[in-house]
Amino acid sequence: MGSLNRDTIIAIFMMIFWSIFLWASFDIRIVEYGTMEADVWPRGVLIILYILTAIYLVQSLRAGPDAEPEEPFTVAGWLRKYRNPLWCFVLYLGFLLTLDFFGMLFGGMLLVFMLLTVLGNNTPKDIATHAATAVISIGGMWSIFTFGLNVILPPSSFFEYF
Amino acid sequence: MVIENILAAFNELASIQTFALMALGTVAGLIAGAIPGFTIAMAIVLTLPFTFGMEPVQGLATMIGVFVGGLSGGLMSGILIGIPGTPSSVATTFDGFPMARKGDPGLALGLGVWSSFFGGIISAVFLVTIAPQLASVGLEFQPWDYFALIMFALTIAASLAGEDLIKGLLAAGIGLLVACIGEDSVNGVARFNFGSDALKQGFSFLPVLIGLFAFSQLLSDIEDQVRAKKALTETGSVNARVEHRRAAIMVLKSWGNLVRSSCIGVFTGVLPAAGSSISNILAYDQAKKASKEPEKFGTGHPDGIIAPEAANNATAGGALITMMALGIPGDIVTAVMLGALLIHDVIPSPSFINEAPVLAYGIFIAFFIANFMMLVLQSGALRLFVLVTKVRMYFLASIILAYCGIGIFALNNVAFDMWTLFWFGIVGYVMRKLGFPLAPMILGVVLGQIAELWLSRAVAITTDISPFFTHPWSLFFIIMASFSLFFPAYQSHRGRKKWTIFFTPFLIASLAGPMFMMQGTVRPVVGALLLAFAAFSLFKLHRRGWKVNPEDAEAHRLSEG
Repeated sequence: MGSLNRDTIIAIFMMIFWSIFLWASFDIRIVEYGTMEADVWPRGVLIILYILTAIYLVQSLRAGPDAEPEEPFTVAGWLRKYRNPLWCFVLYLGFLLTLDFFGMLFGGMLLVFMLLTVLGNNTPKDIATHAATAVISIGGMWSIFTFGLNVILPPSSFFEYF
Repeated sequence: MVIENILAAFNELASIQTFALMALGTVAGLIAGAIPGFTIAMAIVLTLPFTFGMEPVQGLATMIGVFVGGLSGGLMSGILIGIPGTPSSVATTFDGFPMARKGDPGLALGLGVWSSFFGGIISAVFLVTIAPQLASVGLEFQPWDYFALIMFALTIAASLAGEDLIKGLLAAGIGLLVACIGEDSVNGVARFNFGSDALKQGFSFLPVLIGLFAFSQLLSDIEDQVRAKKALTETGSVNARVEHRRAAIMVLKSWGNLVRSSCIGVFTGVLPAAGSSISNILAYDQAKKASKEPEKFGTGHPDGIIAPEAANNATAGGALITMMALGIPGDIVTAVMLGALLIHDVIPSPSFINEAPVLAYGIFIAFFIANFMMLVLQSGALRLFVLVTKVRMYFLASIILAYCGIGIFALNNVAFDMWTLFWFGIVGYVMRKLGFPLAPMILGVVLGQIAELWLSRAVAITTDISPFFTHPWSLFFIIMASFSLFFPAYQSHRGRKKWTIFFTPFLIASLAGPMFMMQGTVRPVVGALLLAFAAFSLFKLHRRGWKVNPEDAEAHRLSEG
């Protein structure tokens, strides 16, 4: 594994991924409408992807192993490096999972407040600013979409308990 | 007929509400374009949900305002703080920032604003005159020609998008595969839904696009924990007043540079996927080569500001030509516009200008007006820019991330679209980190179903593949696609390897072939001229002793630098 570079590993993952899709292409229903069958185009795309990935794999193998990183890889280091994007993903996932419960307005406010607080500073003044920003920005957007554009955004079921 | 259409389109546009929306869009574009990390495409994407409730012409006019504003906004940060607001203004920074540091920021801004304006107007003229002509050529296209055109769009997108052609092609292929998920457009059969009912309908194009592009871009912007907490103004001073009169005179005096750069911009815009990030560097390089004082470039030379700014605004007109005449988006911005048209049940194709002339001419006029609005609103936007740059990056990113979700939900009132945004946000971010360009993938997603549809129509006529090579336009695009695959190698070896000197003459000579195959007199004559030009180029190379010109490597060096 040590002699493989990052591109080689990506190429292998891609090959596996295309294989899953190729396998799934056999589940495509064939209809006799006298037109090009529904599995022809996706399989054509997959064949091209296989060929390109094979070239990518050969290129990566020729390139040899990656240069030694300045710092050895550790999970803690990786988490530290990608802290901000990871927080965004986690909080956004939480926002989507709780959308039915909190609704777009309160869920959105919570999302913005929490994002601001984990990405920015945590002094009491900052936290107050974050809360005000979340209420004003999401409240404003929610009002524009609800009253200006007549979009019915997901309501909250949370307040139904009270 | 044309006059009637123009009047009818103007009548559609001429309302205080539309002009106010366009002005708002232009200011939003100017500000978004000025903030490094917030690209024009992102500004357009974020505007889109607001346009759903509008009339098509009103919505598109607003988006064009954002587009034109965004192209011009990049110069503000480029000139004042030395960081280009968008990739379209990279070359503007080379001379704009030194001029500002020498104590003339007002003139530098003025040169940028006025050359953007004239570049935009020149490209608007091209748009109005060329788009209907190109559309009438497009009406000749048969399924083989269309399919070959789409393949060309994808290969050139892959070759221009990054250093690694294979990664670009893989990204385009992944885009095509994503477009396969869900019901196919020919037979209505579900594909790759893996038992999920939600996936049976496939992914809506806009959540995919916003996830891939905007969501992942925001995450990249805040990745650096220290930079995410910083405001832009911590890196430089942003106080200046635009000097209009002096700058306008200087731009007009440099009319040769202005027209040449605008033409470069239009031509680059017409090519699928070759956007303003390329045209501004090409125009700068050509301006430097044509200048009597090339040694002064990089120290605050006015032509070094005029060329890139005229070119990047002119690219917008070029990109709109391809989208409106052929229904092929030239870049991510026009891909979003295409999506906006589809939402309003308008399908851009060669017959679009004839079938929806009011909307088509409305877009032309809106493009004209947006350039005037940009000129008027730039000074005001500069003050707003000063305020916005005091906001910390993580504030903007957090609010916009939430806004992406709300905007996407508003598309179809379906929560699944928000999940699509989320998953494709992750995909986009990972692809960015692994060095895969996103533009080819986005074009793949947009063009995938269209490509399948045309291939299906071609196969329905005959299963023989020879029409791909016997139909002149199809052959033309196949030749272009083949040469575009070698373009990255040509770019990196240009000025160093001998084979690169033959690339352009051979491309031109090859294109003469399909031109000879076309009917009529004009096109074979064009073919003969192309052949003569290729022969002349080879003759010149022969007289130079088949030697490479090291100066040819300059443009590539600039784009890398």
